[in-house]
Amino acid sequence: MATLTNLIETKEFTGHFVVIHPLDDVPEQKVDTDSLGPMAMTTSVRISLVSLRAYLVLMMLLVFYHVVVLAGWLGHSN
Amino acid sequence: MSNKVLMMPAAAVATEDVAPVRGRVVKSKWARDLLTFLMVFGPGLIVMVADNDAGAVSTYSQAGGQYGTHLLWIVLLLLPVTYFIQEMVVRLGIATGKGHAAMIYQRFGKWWGLFSLLDLELVNFLTLVTEFAAINLALTKMGVDPRIGVPLVAVGLVLIAISGSYRRWERTVVFLCLLDLAWFVVAFWVQPPAAQIVRGSLVPGLPPGGLTPDLMFLIIAIVGTTVAPWQLFFQQSCIADKRLRFADLKWARLDTFLGACITITVAGCMMIAGGASLTHGFKFTDPAQMAVDLGGVTNGFIKNVILLMMINAAVLGTTAISLSSSWAYGEVRGWPHSLQLPLRKAPGFYLIYLLCVATAAGLVLIPGAPLQLIILGVQVLAGVMLPSAIIFLQLLLNDKELLGEYANKPWNNWVNWTIIIVLFALSLILAAQVAAPNLFPAA
Repeated sequence: MATLTNLIETKEFTGHFVVIHPLDDVPEQKVDTDSLGPMAMTTSVRISLVSLRAYLVLMMLLVFYHVVVLAGWLGHSN
Repeated sequence: MSNKVLMMPAAAVATEDVAPVRGRVVKSKWARDLLTFLMVFGPGLIVMVADNDAGAVSTYSQAGGQYGTHLLWIVLLLLPVTYFIQEMVVRLGIATGKGHAAMIYQRFGKWWGLFSLLDLELVNFLTLVTEFAAINLALTKMGVDPRIGVPLVAVGLVLIAISGSYRRWERTVVFLCLLDLAWFVVAFWVQPPAAQIVRGSLVPGLPPGGLTPDLMFLIIAIVGTTVAPWQLFFQQSCIADKRLRFADLKWARLDTFLGACITITVAGCMMIAGGASLTHGFKFTDPAQMAVDLGGVTNGFIKNVILLMMINAAVLGTTAISLSSSWAYGEVRGWPHSLQLPLRKAPGFYLIYLLCVATAAGLVLIPGAPLQLIILGVQVLAGVMLPSAIIFLQLLLNDKELLGEYANKPWNNWVNWTIIIVLFALSLILAAQVAAPNLFPAA
């Protein structure tokens, strides 16, 4: 995963440094995420994630309710 | 520093057939390091400073306006939290060259990817409404008609993004980030009590009256505004768009750390400004009114600086949040999504950005919205959603198949799980408070 910057520094301009903006550099080879596919998850991880989703939905409803109460839209306020 | 520009065909040193490489020649190592840092610098500063958006100005100044300098220690405590979380995003972005939404979609599958995207887009849109509501409020206090000012700001926000140059957008936004330092002038001008600030920052404690429901709600809002879910998506996409390299990792970390330091100290300044209004006996309603109140006891200059900083904070927040929505949507849909692309090559990406800005700007021109309540509610919602967003990040950062040597070390995991547990505890307290309002007796 060598960058172009390293190649120039070490081989082309001894005693000088060439600094290249990332957008001007040759695209670097990254981790090939497409070939990896989905992450292997155990059943417990899956259950945890589903529980997390349920918790999140509940919390969103509670926050919404709290805001409605604070705004006095239900006829009373904390 | 010798600063010659070097042009050479990339084919001379690489086998790929790409455009000529443009670099700058320097003679010393320190000049190389400085120039490299300046070239890498940007995403970390922007994500952190943009986090001090209109909602943050409101939340921090409310914290100061109600509790003086008593809650400064919470903000200081959030410095390592925000850095550790964003540092993980930096590693993930540099290693994969892809955005956060794309990673969740690819590694957890379509179902979780869509859920994460939906959460992000929902909270982002609500946050954008608050940004424009703050612009509306500040313009009104400055005597500018919001029906003219708000659309003008929206047009400006669209123009800085659609130039087809990442660098042009980044330079403009970094300039706006540096303007945020004017909060130091405000904090200095209101003549804060130095001893109280030091004590409030370094000695954890609760304000007189103890832990009331309102205080708990405000603490969760402070956490929610300092570490927000959109930041994860924004910085990773920004790093991918800027094409940061593995060799840039240490500079990207430094960029993120400096950004975190600036955002936390600026947040402290906002709280100090709020504290000054409390000292003068003003009741806090919103930051624009705070600016008017403080302007009355200092001078008109401070009033205008605070109002302009409110607008600047909202502009920074809007461009960053809208981009995080656009990048995430583009990644999941497989659309071209880069600020480097001209409008005609990434129409969907720019359309999402335009829709985010235009719809939020249009909504706030409808009169009668309870601004302060919406802002606080959105910050709390962000705080509630943050733990689940971090759990996906934590799972991705422990994915050795994906990240190899860039995966989390055991100490990273200890720190991050601690953060997640604390965030969950705060959100559970919120749930308990909402479900049983009398659990925490009022002062």
